[in-house]
Amino acid sequence: MRYFNLFSSVLLTKGASRILISDLERNVSELQSLDLYNLTEDLKLNSIEDVIKEYDRDSGEIINEYIAFLLENEYGFISHNNWDNSFNQLSFNYDSSDVISNLFLELDNFSVLHKIRSAMDTIDIRYLVIYSIRQLSKEELGELDFIFENTPLEGIEIYCPYYDQINDAFLSYLSDTSKRIYKLVLYNCDTITFSTNENLKFSLEYTKDYITIKNCGIVDLKYFNTNNSKIFESKNYNSCLFKKIGIDIDGNIKNCPLMPDHFGNIRNTSLEKVLEMAGFKKYWNLTKDHIEICKDCEFRYICTDCRAFTEKTHQNKEGLDTSKPLKCGYDPYTGEWSEWSTNPLKEKAMRYYDFKIKQ
Amino acid sequence: MILILSANKDFTTNEVIKWLHIFDKKYIRVHEFELFEIKVIDKKILLESQRNSFYIDDINSVWFRRGGIKFNRLQFQNESVNKIMDETQFCLEDYVIKKLESKRHINKQSNNRTNKLLILEKAVAVGLDVPTYFLADNTDHINLGKTITKSISENIMVKSAFDDFDGILYTSIIDKHEDEVFFPTFFQEKIEKEFEIRCFYLNGKVWSCAIFSQNDEQTKIDNRIYNYGKPNRNVRYTLPPEIHHKICILMTELDYNCGSIDFIKSIDGKFYFLEVNPVGQFLGISDICNYALEKEIADYL
Repeated sequence: MRYFNLFSSVLLTKGASRILISDLERNVSELQSLDLYNLTEDLKLNSIEDVIKEYDRDSGEIINEYIAFLLENEYGFISHNNWDNSFNQLSFNYDSSDVISNLFLELDNFSVLHKIRSAMDTIDIRYLVIYSIRQLSKEELGELDFIFENTPLEGIEIYCPYYDQINDAFLSYLSDTSKRIYKLVLYNCDTITFSTNENLKFSLEYTKDYITIKNCGIVDLKYFNTNNSKIFESKNYNSCLFKKIGIDIDGNIKNCPLMPDHFGNIRNTSLEKVLEMAGFKKYWNLTKDHIEICKDCEFRYICTDCRAFTEKTHQNKEGLDTSKPLKCGYDPYTGEWSEWSTNPLKEKAMRYYDFKIKQ
Repeated sequence: MILILSANKDFTTNEVIKWLHIFDKKYIRVHEFELFEIKVIDKKILLESQRNSFYIDDINSVWFRRGGIKFNRLQFQNESVNKIMDETQFCLEDYVIKKLESKRHINKQSNNRTNKLLILEKAVAVGLDVPTYFLADNTDHINLGKTITKSISENIMVKSAFDDFDGILYTSIIDKHEDEVFFPTFFQEKIEKEFEIRCFYLNGKVWSCAIFSQNDEQTKIDNRIYNYGKPNRNVRYTLPPEIHHKICILMTELDYNCGSIDFIKSIDGKFYFLEVNPVGQFLGISDICNYALEKEIADYL
């Protein structure tokens, strides 16, 4: 008798109409049918021969094809006489050495950065995402790294408006002097005064569009990533807000600058104190398994989620918003993507957030 | 205070240090090129380099990762004075290193050089299966296609001696005879493998990972020849208890309390011991198998 063993690094996520096979070693996911999922469930309980016997002759052929598919993609292997129990299940524990993995700052005044710096004596913040509403000078951009010298901060991502002083000399100066900047996004960029093939240490993106902080929260295939730490996090915690902290333009400390609730202002409290406040971490443990509609979606463990803009249809007993992200155009029941912003069912929520409704 | 002896840019050390922060444990990190002077202040021994300064009494645990404590040795003009002072300095240095090693530690500076031949003999002695091996200076008795060769020394990184050569000494199969006699070389029976097993050992605990490299011609002989398009499958694995037990005896005999150990599971179902590396890389299996080994190390220190 032959037995099929699924490799522990292959995760099958069952959705309402399809499944997603995520390969945690090769960092890719693919969509497959529910039939394949049901077969893998059968193969956990019965030998390959017994499973084939259960089906009629025509389906037996299909079963063999499915098994060939699983073996070809190295999603599993065959053992004889019994399943090979020396291979253990992967633990989906998520354990990370950050106190805060991500600080999202809506920047105007640099004094906030010094406040953040002093908080880092006691809390390890790993990444800083800065959205600036105003132009940043060469000196200011250069100073960023200097402020965080000798701290556990590993990376800085910046979104700021483009202006014509940003040229090759400017960018190569920034690249030479900065250790932490890994991404620079220039918005409002109509014509460019820099060459795009410069060898820079950070990735450089530019767009004609005026990016506002409200552009955040879009749920789309292009933002989905298959990697084990992302999946371990999503299985245990909220993939949008876990270990995240936000500071809005007025200095209010929040889970995300776009969320309404705030927990004090950076001018008169500290990040350390906010982290200890009741309620600050209330969304951290809300997994996709407990968000309506999303809990039936095959993409739920690779999804970016968004708790700031939702369809505002559900709330759980603890008062947490458990509605689907507003800017998600996917329907797990039909398996189809559509443009979220033109969906009439979302009109009410969009009006609430003051989004323009596209005609 | 924890003393970490490591290389300046060692990524593994960084990951462990992140956990030390979380556990609120204080540490001193020493780089590979730091030179220490031994000083005495109020009858206590102080080690001082350009980057660090600490009393050895204040050190509670030591992680020997890479490099080690190196000393700035004074030279004297008079040859006799130089000789006696050299001996004196050696005694003091030896005392400092042994004193540090007597504290809670992960591996030892004085024991960091492995000897493949001695290790294999000890592995046989503790009852592990080891593929037949021998040294030879010719290929007369070599079974072509069924014998592999690898370096005797453990120093796997050599500065690239030739172009198109990445500097890593890989294991390879002997497929033709050589006419001439050569420097004594290590030969070993090639085992037909089902998969390889990489283990991480720390104080009696073993974490294992099966590496399916057999499906792939490119990585069949040495899984370090990485196939980026289709990486090998790495899967959490549990060794049989008797193998686990023998690993513990072997590591105790070798006086290593931490290290990476390689096995082959052969197609006939046996577990063949290949080698031990006390300073091996383990973040790869830690990440893929979600073992959080960097946290285990930080916790132990």
